[in-house]
Amino acid sequence: MPIDFPNSPANGATFSTGDKTWQFDGVSWVLVASNASIGNSAITEAKIASGAVTADKIGALAVTTGKIDSNAVTAGKIASNAVTEGKIDASAVTSAKIAAGAVVEAGIAANAVTTGKLGTDVQLGYRNVVINGAMQIAQRGTSVSGITTSGYRTVDRFQFQVGTMGTWTQTVETDAPFAAAGMNKSVKVLCTTADASPAAGDLVAFVQRIEGQNLQQFLKGADSAKQFTLTFWVKSNVTGTYIAELLDADNTRQVSAAYTVSASGTWEKKTITFPADTTGAFNNDNDTSLTVAWWLGAGTNFTSGTLQTTWVSTVTANRAVGQTNLAAATNNYWQITGVQLEAGSVATPFEFEDFSTTLRKCERYFEKTYEQGVNPAAATNVGFVGAGGPDGVANFYAFPTWRYRTEKRATPTVTIYDIAGNSARITTWQSGFSTNNVTPDNGNWTNGTTAHAVLENGAISGFYYQAVSSAEL
Amino acid sequence: MNFFISNPTIGEPFIVMVTNGTTSFVPSDPANTDYQAYLAWVAEGNTAEEWNPDAD
Repeated sequence: MPIDFPNSPANGATFSTGDKTWQFDGVSWVLVASNASIGNSAITEAKIASGAVTADKIGALAVTTGKIDSNAVTAGKIASNAVTEGKIDASAVTSAKIAAGAVVEAGIAANAVTTGKLGTDVQLGYRNVVINGAMQIAQRGTSVSGITTSGYRTVDRFQFQVGTMGTWTQTVETDAPFAAAGMNKSVKVLCTTADASPAAGDLVAFVQRIEGQNLQQFLKGADSAKQFTLTFWVKSNVTGTYIAELLDADNTRQVSAAYTVSASGTWEKKTITFPADTTGAFNNDNDTSLTVAWWLGAGTNFTSGTLQTTWVSTVTANRAVGQTNLAAATNNYWQITGVQLEAGSVATPFEFEDFSTTLRKCERYFEKTYEQGVNPAAATNVGFVGAGGPDGVANFYAFPTWRYRTEKRATPTVTIYDIAGNSARITTWQSGFSTNNVTPDNGNWTNGTTAHAVLENGAISGFYYQAVSSAEL
Repeated sequence: MNFFISNPTIGEPFIVMVTNGTTSFVPSDPANTDYQAYLAWVAEGNTAEEWNPDAD
């Protein structure tokens, strides 16, 4: 069929009929487009000139996911700033689509991470319910030998329990996994008299007791109860199986877990996730609710059953099954540091604290008038508490008050010392001379915030004393 | 560990605890673990004698 082109067209004019379009170039009509169907495979990459496909030639909605080959889109084909938040579907980015190491600090805009974008279960701070886990604070001293009974000896908040099983030396060491974990100190127990055949009720353990009001984040006793994740670094010259245990003092329940010291004399990091317990809430008070225990030796009373790895009412025989006997030979030792107990199944990095924060936490349980680094009962007057008046007062009466830096967990036990280190004694002062080993009239005026020593009817001009207060669990 | 009772000229009687040669004063606070130990010691049939400071 002939085509009836317009007469006298202007240069650039177009004419369409049927499925074709022509354009007048000043001399003749040139075919420029056809809507005729294009067969499959008609257009191949080789037929498209470089630069031929530009954004204005692609219809809106023309590019759909189904038209893009897998792996067709590479980083080199995406212009800088081409991907904006509005072009990404909600839920399109999942963790499986992000390569390890892909997200780096430089790739996160300032202020991009806000609290609202963090999961509701994330506890950003105060995750570690163990106090002094880095073994930084040791107010009582750094070395005690001849230990045959239980007590708080060196590092604060940790009690070394010995039940007729060997003799021990406990020390604070600078040997610690610094390069691996940033720890500078550890605590060490060394067997100096062995007990290779302990009696049924004998035990050796290292424990920390925790107040119930500091444990509520575990939701224990609720349907939504959380797991307990315990992390620590350990080193021993005795390889084998050791038992860590959680004891619920409020509900008489417990759970144990075995860990292995694999290599002699080598710092090893251990992480144990204990199950959640939907039975028995922790009391929200200032008494012991949870004891974290590291067994070091146990008689058959504690080992004759089957190790209890889920929370149940306490069965003594199931508490320490399989425990290696650290007391089997002299010079056996066990060291620990970097202790963290937190809610949930994830072991987060150790929560470092500044020294003063940890010290204040420890002082809720034990405080002294002596300087840090000076052991109680040392012969020193630095830090003393005292009261004075003019010489020659016949009936001197005073009760100089020691106000604690930190209020105590409970009314504390108070031990006062004269400046020569004699307990239950004070030092008097008159006319330039000190007298030690003087018995006060009363030393029990203590509450959670202060302690007094009292002297009456002394022909002196003053007296002073050192003291420690203990409200340990 | 041993316990005594002190009857001061002023104030209430108080408990004296002697442990490894160290003498301490124990308050009658049920949350104090030394007081709990004292109560357990008494429950075992022990009776605290008068504290003699000169005997320490």
